[in-house]
Amino acid sequence: MNRHRLVIDTSGGTSVAVFVDGECVAEINQTDTMKHAETIGVAIQQVLADAKITPKEIGSVVVGRGPAPFTGLRIGIAAATAFALGRGVPLFGVVSLDAVAMAERASESSEELLVTTDARRGEVYWALYAAGAMPPRAVRGPSVGKQAAVLEELEAAGLHYRGASAPVTAAWLGKVFEAQLADGVESREVTPLYLREADAAAPAAGTQFGKPVN
Amino acid sequence: MSLPIRPATEADLAAIMRIENECFGTDAWPEATMLTELLSHHTHYFVAHDGDELLAYAGVAVVAGSGQADINTIAVAPKARRQGFGEALLQHAIDTAGGLGASEMFLDVRADNEAARALYEKFGFEQLKIRKGYYQPDNVDAVVMRRPIKARVAEPLVLGIESTCDETGIGIVRGTTLLANVISSSMELHARFGGVVPEVAARAHLEALQPAIQQALAEAKVSLQELDAIAVANGPGLAGALMVGTGAAKSLAVALEKPIYAVNHLVGHVGADVLERGQVESPTVALLVSGGHTSLLLVKDLLDDVVLLGETVDDAAGEAFDKVARVLSLKYPGGPEIDRLAAEGDPNAIRFPRGLSQPKDMAEHRYDFSFSGLKTAVARHVEQARGRGENVNLADVAAGFREAVVDVLLTKAVAACQEHNVPRLLLGGGVVANARLREVAKARCEAAGIDLRIPDFKLCTDNGAMIAALGAQLVMAGRAPSNLDFATSSTLPVTTVQS
Repeated sequence: MNRHRLVIDTSGGTSVAVFVDGECVAEINQTDTMKHAETIGVAIQQVLADAKITPKEIGSVVVGRGPAPFTGLRIGIAAATAFALGRGVPLFGVVSLDAVAMAERASESSEELLVTTDARRGEVYWALYAAGAMPPRAVRGPSVGKQAAVLEELEAAGLHYRGASAPVTAAWLGKVFEAQLADGVESREVTPLYLREADAAAPAAGTQFGKPVN
Repeated sequence: MSLPIRPATEADLAAIMRIENECFGTDAWPEATMLTELLSHHTHYFVAHDGDELLAYAGVAVVAGSGQADINTIAVAPKARRQGFGEALLQHAIDTAGGLGASEMFLDVRADNEAARALYEKFGFEQLKIRKGYYQPDNVDAVVMRRPIKARVAEPLVLGIESTCDETGIGIVRGTTLLANVISSSMELHARFGGVVPEVAARAHLEALQPAIQQALAEAKVSLQELDAIAVANGPGLAGALMVGTGAAKSLAVALEKPIYAVNHLVGHVGADVLERGQVESPTVALLVSGGHTSLLLVKDLLDDVVLLGETVDDAAGEAFDKVARVLSLKYPGGPEIDRLAAEGDPNAIRFPRGLSQPKDMAEHRYDFSFSGLKTAVARHVEQARGRGENVNLADVAAGFREAVVDVLLTKAVAACQEHNVPRLLLGGGVVANARLREVAKARCEAAGIDLRIPDFKLCTDNGAMIAALGAQLVMAGRAPSNLDFATSSTLPVTTVQS
């Protein structure tokens, strides 16, 4: 695989990074969670310029699959898909919560790590990560629910864990991917982790959304 | 002949006016008119000079997409005549017009200006007609002349992305030639909801995008690297759906290092006509009717002058078909179902109301539509008849409803043509599939002497080819690409052709 990698995540704001030989050499993080469609093109163009490379040099694309609010998440996946298609390079997917687990040093932890991010509507996206695992590995979730209900569920299971909540960044997502690649567990799956039905009022039968996580 | 010719700027105005007054005397344009000419989007003025001294100028008007160019003026300062300035400027005007896609050029000349007429004849212009006494107060006739020119535009290869509603459309055009038009519809996914669910549509766009692009490339037998530009509809439409298409389009443009053109979806419907006729004849009235829109547009210039005459104040016509279909226990989408049932009914058996057609409404909503009252009237009719224990003739209800929709659409569209003195009507949008709409449109336009255009159905329904076609028109008109940070707008006005 070519040395240069473009990483995109829009599960929170718009976050893009360029990796060269496994190291993040440029990143842009825009925290506005309502402007992905406006900013995504400029962000990609800018991060390539910051990394002093041309689009032609990108050899692979990695994208965060969420879970995250639908509209923003989709823009990042659409952009990553289009970039990979445009350059004819492979596209990989990483669960966005893994980036938080990586940033919060799940691999060095003796406790399991509960990662939560804002799912709006008074709920959180969450996953419980194995203690000391590298790359990060979820033992429960990702899922979505009321924080209190999640804590209750984990308590009922008698689990001891440390809580972590931090913004997902492309830089950390890229590091997760490097670790996955080193272990040979990288994934070409880029379907978004919506975790919610497309329409709450829709009858559940016959729906093809809200697929379980692979 | 190679004389120094350059584009005119506002700074040339004083020098141009000096020559203008010298050459034309009583016929000379006022300075304000000349300034407007210099600054207009449609005109291209250039000057010939000797050092710092401006000696001659000419202006040509090319309405983008029309295929036609007009020589607005040519003037050579008296002291610079017989040195080839007129010929050089005329050749330059012809080249410019050809470069902008014009295939014929027109001009007016005073019948008594023999030198000019000789020059034009030498350049292949032929007399088309005489305008009697056109030049006043001298009472001299104008001779209208015409010559064909060879359009020399390198035809741009443009990929268009459409994701405003429930159709993921990828089109590829070369200039005005359609190469591929792939449409992936999520309509079936919406069937159980009886209408388009925005989140369902947006999810489907993301899934459909890559396969649709790949299929379009295969059909067009081109590669992404060959593209000259990307075009994408950035509104009006469903916000979440629009963002999938624009997010992908922006990233694709960056990856390929190609310019991107953000275009108006509704104007795209009008632009589809260039793929069948090579141009959009202007002016034209356009009636766009779909599940999301019911709009009446006055198009004087595809790229620069599109005005919204009216639109629906509540439901779109297609939406009304879907809702009435539900009342009649028919399937989604309602249009084809009602069309089928209506074929067996009497359209005059029940007269349903024509929305916004009363004199009191016409003052404020002359070209607006309303279908929500009609839908309620149908529901009430069925309920009341059933309440009375009558056997409702559903075919008559369907036929009466359809007639009311079609009648009001075409009454207003034909009135718009007549009141704006526009002898053309273009139909677009998915509801154009309705057989009765097409039938009535043909009959009424014929009776009113209006030229009716109905593009092929695959170009009427939402599609990427029309977006690509409009993008190609912008490229050919020499327009700058959109900035990469353009926004999507669910209510983008038709006056914004390019964002």
